[in-house]
Amino acid sequence: MAVDITLLFRASVKTVKTRNKALGVAVGGGVDGSRDELFRRSPRPKGDFSSRAREVISHIGKLRDFLLEHRKDYINAYSHTMSEYGRMTDTERDQIDQDAQTFMRTCSEAIQQLRAQARKETHPQQVKEHRSAVLDFTEDYLKRVCKLYSEQRAIRVKRVVDKKRLSKLEPEPSTKTREPMFSEKVSQNPSKDSEEKPTTEEYPEKIPAEAHPELGTWGDGKGEDELSPEEAQMFEQENQRLIGEMNSLFDEVRQIEGKVVEISRLQEIFTEKVLQQEAEIDSIHQLVVGATESIKEGNADIREVGAPGRSRAVRAGVEGASCGGPSGVRGRTWPGSDQLPKPRLERLVGPAPAVLRLGLTRGRSGATAAAARLGSPPPAPREWT
Amino acid sequence: MVGVKMAAAAAASIRERQTVALKRMLNFNVPHVKNSTGEPVWKVLIYDRFGQDIISPLLSVKELRDMGITLHLLLHSDRDPIPDVPAVYFVMPTEENIDRLCQDLRNQLYESYYLNFISAISRSKLEDIANAALAASAVTQVAKVFDQYLNFITLEDDMFVLCNQNKELVSYRAINRTDITDTEMETVMDTIVDSLFCFFVTLGAVPIIRCSRGTAAEMVAVKLDKKLRENLRDARNSLFTGDTLGAGQFSFQRPLLVLVDRNIDLATPLHHTWTYQALVHDVLDFHLNRVNLEESSGAETSPAGARPKRKNKKSYDLTPVDKFWQKHKGSPFPEVAESVQQELESYRAQEDEVKRLKSIMGLEGEDEGAISMLSDNTAKLTSAVSSLPELLEKKRLIDLHTNVATAVLEHIKARKLDVYFEYEEKIMSKTTLDKSLLDIISDPDAGTPEDKMRLFLIYYISAQQAPSEADLEQYKKALTDAGCNLNPLQYIKQWKAFAKMASAPASYGNTTTKPMGLLSRVMNTGSQFVMEGVKNLVLKQQNLPVTRILDNLMEMKSNPETDDYRYFDPKMLRGNDSSVPRNKNPFQEAIVFVVGGGNYIEYQNLVDYIKGKQGKHILYGCSELFNATQFIKQLSQLGQKQ
Repeated sequence: MAVDITLLFRASVKTVKTRNKALGVAVGGGVDGSRDELFRRSPRPKGDFSSRAREVISHIGKLRDFLLEHRKDYINAYSHTMSEYGRMTDTERDQIDQDAQTFMRTCSEAIQQLRAQARKETHPQQVKEHRSAVLDFTEDYLKRVCKLYSEQRAIRVKRVVDKKRLSKLEPEPSTKTREPMFSEKVSQNPSKDSEEKPTTEEYPEKIPAEAHPELGTWGDGKGEDELSPEEAQMFEQENQRLIGEMNSLFDEVRQIEGKVVEISRLQEIFTEKVLQQEAEIDSIHQLVVGATESIKEGNADIREVGAPGRSRAVRAGVEGASCGGPSGVRGRTWPGSDQLPKPRLERLVGPAPAVLRLGLTRGRSGATAAAARLGSPPPAPREWT
Repeated sequence: MVGVKMAAAAAASIRERQTVALKRMLNFNVPHVKNSTGEPVWKVLIYDRFGQDIISPLLSVKELRDMGITLHLLLHSDRDPIPDVPAVYFVMPTEENIDRLCQDLRNQLYESYYLNFISAISRSKLEDIANAALAASAVTQVAKVFDQYLNFITLEDDMFVLCNQNKELVSYRAINRTDITDTEMETVMDTIVDSLFCFFVTLGAVPIIRCSRGTAAEMVAVKLDKKLRENLRDARNSLFTGDTLGAGQFSFQRPLLVLVDRNIDLATPLHHTWTYQALVHDVLDFHLNRVNLEESSGAETSPAGARPKRKNKKSYDLTPVDKFWQKHKGSPFPEVAESVQQELESYRAQEDEVKRLKSIMGLEGEDEGAISMLSDNTAKLTSAVSSLPELLEKKRLIDLHTNVATAVLEHIKARKLDVYFEYEEKIMSKTTLDKSLLDIISDPDAGTPEDKMRLFLIYYISAQQAPSEADLEQYKKALTDAGCNLNPLQYIKQWKAFAKMASAPASYGNTTTKPMGLLSRVMNTGSQFVMEGVKNLVLKQQNLPVTRILDNLMEMKSNPETDDYRYFDPKMLRGNDSSVPRNKNPFQEAIVFVVGGGNYIEYQNLVDYIKGKQGKHILYGCSELFNATQFIKQLSQLGQKQ
C-alpha cells in the first residue's frame, strides 16, 4: 500500500524555509527566490510541441464527444418513422459522416505534420524518442476514436439495409402507413378548399359525393370479377410459389450480406497489412540503398588499397552481393508491387491474397518473419536500458 | 461456496498485488482504469537499478507503453531535459539517489515530478529534497511524494526474492561470515526486515511468525515482530488498517510466516535437479525470469582461419503469460521434452490446415462451380486470418522452449546430470549405492569438477557419521585430481562440526526415484530431443526439510524438529518468549522465507506439496535466489577465510 507523503513534503518545505530564514541563509526562499522564480519561469516556455500535440488530442476528444453525443440518434434509423421525436434526418446523418471524415483526415494530417516537424528539428535523442512515442499515442487515440465512428457507421448501414429489406419484402405495413397519410391529405383538402371558397357550400359536399361513386364502382368491379374456385386455387398456388421464391431469395440475400460483411472485414485487415508492408518496404528500401552505398564505398576502398591479385576475389564477392540486393528484396516481399497505379480500392485489395499466401507458404521458418508482416506485433521484447 | 471464495482470495496473488500497485503508481497514484477511448497521457519513468529489477519481471515494455510511458530511463544515466513532460520517479531513498534527484530539480529537467520511493524515506532526506526544491524554486513542480513499500521482487505468483542489486549484502556468505561485526550484522538484518515489512504491507496482512532458535532467522523474526508491532501501535499511520486488510483478504485468517535458516539444509541447494525450471536455473543463465542463451552458430561450418564467429546471444522471457512454461516449469525434464514435441506436432497440424485452405482458394477459385465453395471459404478465410496471430504466438513459444530445452539437454548430456541426479537422490534417501562415490569422482567423463564437488558435499552433509580421516584424504585426493577447489569442503567441515543438528538432516524422505528403464519412453525418431542415453527419471514426491518444517507448523503437528520454534504474534499486546502457539487451528496460508538464500528446488517442492491440500496457499520467499554454482562460490569464499 502506497502512502501519500506529499503533505509531509510540503511541511518539510515550510520547515526548511523557516530554518533558512532563521539562519539567514538565502537559498531561494526570500526575495531572491521569487525573483529567481520569475527569471526561471519566463525562459521556460511551454513546449511548442506538447501544446500542439495536446491541441490535436483535444480536437480528437471533441470529435469523440460529438460522436458519443449523437450516437443514439445516429444509429437509430427508425427514429423518424417510429416516433415523431426522431430528431435526425438522413441528410443530417450524411452530414455527420462527412464532417467526421474530414475531421479525422485533418487530425491525421496534423499528426503527420507534427511528426515531420519532429523529425526535422534537431533534438537530443531522448527528446526525439519521447516525441515519436507521444505521436504514437496520439495516433493510437485517433484510431480508437475512428473505430468508434466506423462501428456506429456500420450499424447504421446495417439498419438501413434491414429497413429496405423490410419495406420490400413486406409491402403490407408500408401500404398501411401510406393509407392514413392519404386520408389525411383527403381530409386536409376540404378544409383548404373551404377556406378558399367559403361561399360555396356545395363544394365540400361534392367532393365526397364524387369520391363515393368512385369507391362504389371499385367495389362493384370487385363484385363483378368474382374469382372461380379454380382461379383462386391457381392464384393461391402462384402465391405459394412466389412466397417460396421470395424466401429463398431473401435467404440468399442475407447470406450474401453476411459474406459481404466478412469480406469487408477481411479487406480492412488486408488494407492495414498492406499499408504496414508499404512502410516496411520503404524502410527496407532505405536500408538497401544505404547498404549499396556502403558497398560501393567499400569497393572503392578495396580498389585503392588492395593488392591486385588478392582483392579481386573479395571484390567479386562483395559486388555480387550488392547486385542481388535491392531487386531481390523488392520482388520477394511484394509480388504485386508492379501493379501499383490502380484505383485505390483495387490496389489495396489486389495484392492482399499474395500477402496472405506469402505469410502462409513460408511455413515454419517464415512464420516468425511473417509475424512482423502480418500485423500482430510480436510481443515487445523487454528491453531495459 | 467456500471453495469459490477461497479461490477468489487466492486470485489476488502477491504478483497481482504488486502489479496493481505499480500500475497505480505509474498512473500518478490514481487507480488505473482501462478505457478504450480515454485520452492519452504521457510521462517518462525514471528508476534506479532496484526499481528496474522490481518492474521488469512484472511489466513488459509494451505494458509500460500502454500506461503512457514514453521513455524509461535509469536515474544515473545521462538524461536530456524534456521540459514539457511529467516524470514519475521510482527509486530507493539512498543518499546518491537523493543527490541526483535534487540535481534534476535544479536542472529543471521535467515539467513536474512524481516522486515514489521504493521503501520509506527518512524525514531528513525528505528535507534535503525540500531544500533542493526550494533552491530551484521547483516546489510546486513536485506534484506528489509517495512511499510505495514495494521493496521486493516478485518472480512468480507465489514466489519472491528480496533484492537483486545488493544481494551480496544479504547473501549466505554475509550472514555466516565468522568475522562479521555486530553493526554489519545489524545492517544485514535491517535490510532483510525492511523488505519483508514491505512484503507484508503489500500483502495487507499481519502474519504470525515462527522461527527456529539461535539462528539468523530468529534475529530476523525478532526485528520484524518489533517493526510490525510499532506500526500497528501507531494507529494514525498504521499501514495495516482500512481497506487494505478487508479487501480480498480474510483478516480472521492470518497467514503464517515460517522463517528458516539456510543452515538447516545445505544439501538441497547443491543438489542436481530434474525439473524444468530448476534445471534452467541450474545450468543456464536464468535471472529474474529471463534466460540468456548463447548459441554458438555453426562453429564447424565456418572455414578454418576465418574470424571466429561471434556467439549469438539470445534472451527469452519466461513469463506467466507463457502457458507452456506455466504448465511445465515444475515437470521433470523428459516430460517437458515430450510436451514440446507434442506442441510442435499440433502446431504443424494447424499450419497444414491453413495451407490446405490456401490451396483450395488457389485452385478452386478458377473452377466453374467454385462460387458456392468460395462463399463457404470466406468464413474459413476469416477464421484463418483471425487465428493467425494466435498461431504465430504459439509458434514463438514453441521456438523458445525448443531452444531452451535443447540448451538444457546439451548440458545434461555433456555433464551426465541424470547420473548425478539419480546418485544424489540415493545418497539423500540413504539407499544403497550401486556404484562407489570414488568411481564417479574419478570418472573424467562425468561432469565438471563443480558437479563432483557438489556430489561429494551432498554425500558429506548427509552422511550419518563423517567419513574417517583416511577416507576423507582419499576423497580429497580424488577431488583434487578432478580439478576441484577444496575450499567449499573446508567450510562444510567446519559447519558440520559446529552445527548441533549435523546428524539431524537424516532423512530427505524415503522414496526414491525409479529410473523408468533406459530408453523406455525415449522420444520418437526424428525428434529434436534425442534423449538417448539420458535416463528417463520420474520424480517421486518427497518432502525436503523446508517443506517438512512447514508441514509441521502449518498443520500444528507435534514434532521434535519444530516444537521449540519461537512464536511471535505482532498483534498481541505483549510479546512473549514462548514457543507455545495460542491458536491451535491449522493455517490456510503460509509464507516460507529462507534467510540466507533459496532455490527453485525448494520452491517446486513446496508447490507440489501444497497441490495436495485443498484451499491452502503457500508463498516462497528468500533473501537471495542462487543456483548451485553461485552457492558453491560462496561456500568457497567462506572456506577460504579460515
